[in-house]
Amino acid sequence: MENTMRETDRNGQEAVVQVRGLCFARGERMIFDGVDLDIERGKVSAIMGPSGTGKTTLLKLIGGQLRPEAGTIVVDGENVHELATRELYSLRQRMGMMFQSGALLTDLDVYANVAFPIREHTDLPESLVRHLVLMKLQAVGLRGAAGLMPSELSGGMARRVAMARAIALDPMIVLYDEPFTGQDPISMGILVKLIRELNDALGLTSIVVSHDVQETAAIADYAYLLSDGKVVDQGTPETLWKSASDWSQQFLNGEPDGPVAFHYPAGRFRDDLMQGGRAR
Amino acid sequence: MILDPLQQLGRKGLAFFGRLGRAHLFLMQTLTGVPGLLLRPGLVIRQLYSVGVLTLLIILVSGLFVGMVLGLQGYNTLVDFGAEESLGVVVALSLVRELGPVVSALLFAGRAGSALTAEIGLMKATEQLSGMEMMAVDPMRRIVAPRFVAGFLSMPLLAAIFSIVGVYGGYFVGVGLLGIDDGAFWSQMQAKVDLSDDVYNGVIKSFVFGFVAVWIAVFEGYDTVPTSEGVSRATTRTVVHTALAVLGLDFVLTALMFGD
Repeated sequence: MENTMRETDRNGQEAVVQVRGLCFARGERMIFDGVDLDIERGKVSAIMGPSGTGKTTLLKLIGGQLRPEAGTIVVDGENVHELATRELYSLRQRMGMMFQSGALLTDLDVYANVAFPIREHTDLPESLVRHLVLMKLQAVGLRGAAGLMPSELSGGMARRVAMARAIALDPMIVLYDEPFTGQDPISMGILVKLIRELNDALGLTSIVVSHDVQETAAIADYAYLLSDGKVVDQGTPETLWKSASDWSQQFLNGEPDGPVAFHYPAGRFRDDLMQGGRAR
Repeated sequence: MILDPLQQLGRKGLAFFGRLGRAHLFLMQTLTGVPGLLLRPGLVIRQLYSVGVLTLLIILVSGLFVGMVLGLQGYNTLVDFGAEESLGVVVALSLVRELGPVVSALLFAGRAGSALTAEIGLMKATEQLSGMEMMAVDPMRRIVAPRFVAGFLSMPLLAAIFSIVGVYGGYFVGVGLLGIDDGAFWSQMQAKVDLSDDVYNGVIKSFVFGFVAVWIAVFEGYDTVPTSEGVSRATTRTVVHTALAVLGLDFVLTALMFGD
């Protein structure tokens, strides 16, 4: 196929996702300005950065939901943005995505949500669908919640159901969008464990987008730090902790001031005070 | 300074035509998803229930009251000319030609159209549509097309039910309460209401209104700004735009059908 290409990453390993020279803007604002990254097959890769750096946008670009201004994204040898709609949908069947909100279909119960992609894409008999759904729910520990509606689930449970749905078709890659945000410690621990274990047990490739440093670093094999539209640092979590970059140290250690200034850019404080209370 | 209003006008004009273009592209995409529904009729049947059956109550009640008011007002006018026996014709023609298709379209926009917009808009705001896309399921085919077809098919049926119930409302007031002759009420109606000129034209109107009402409803939902305020605005726009479109189209269609 014309769009198909096999690439290797920085270590000579097969890169299942390869991003080259990615540029993307929203209006006047440049979100990505020449981003390069490789996601190695079979590994958990983290993409970290402060809020608003476009981490979720990157997942949408990888999934072909957004189109970049420049650059290429190759997933499993296929250039995502050169694919016809039918080919893109075929590629997406090999991808699972867990949204930050869970994005469960609110008119379906947990069972039907997990069964949804199976029923849409296969003609399997209902008895087999049931087995598959129960297996996926068992994997995330929610077989007992099969009959609940999404409104009856806690935030953590909703994400676990979304996780079960994301792996329902046994995908090659799973994209996790901020899986830990707003979770209590127990739910967070469960999600951390599940992402790692599902990745290893099912032979997946996982991309975790997050700003929860400790949890993400605990399960990631490799991490990219994004800021101001660029990759500012990358490496294994161990090497990142020892990074010489001031920005990386500030982000990883959660320091309030540093290369990312505490104060939003402004004129002299004294000048503002001397303006006699004039409204801005 | 003088350029400011011009710029604003230009900006609004561009936004309007841009949106109109998007609405037409959206319609094309929706229509391409319709043939696939023949293989999955269950999707349409479920929507026929929520769009059509759940709108039935308001149609029945409104139709009854509109028919009763027509009976009362018609009688008061006709009795001055000694023509109260023609009440059945007045009620039936008013309902079949105009009030049935128009009022039921307005009620449809208020009940089913707003619900469709809110449902699709909330699905967008809660990333359910994005989630479907990432599951390689096209929301246009899975969500929009079944609702569109269900709305389009429901509207003429609802308008017919509205007219029938309205006729019985007029009958109840005219014959039951005001003492018009039963036989005269029905026989004059039978003699003066023409199947092709009146009934078919009314059906055509209700198909057109249904098409426009459900198109506006699903488009507003799909094109909504994915916030609570955006969904609220989209829902309001659905009702307002549908009402304006239906009333405007009603004049055009009436001129084409009944204008000599």
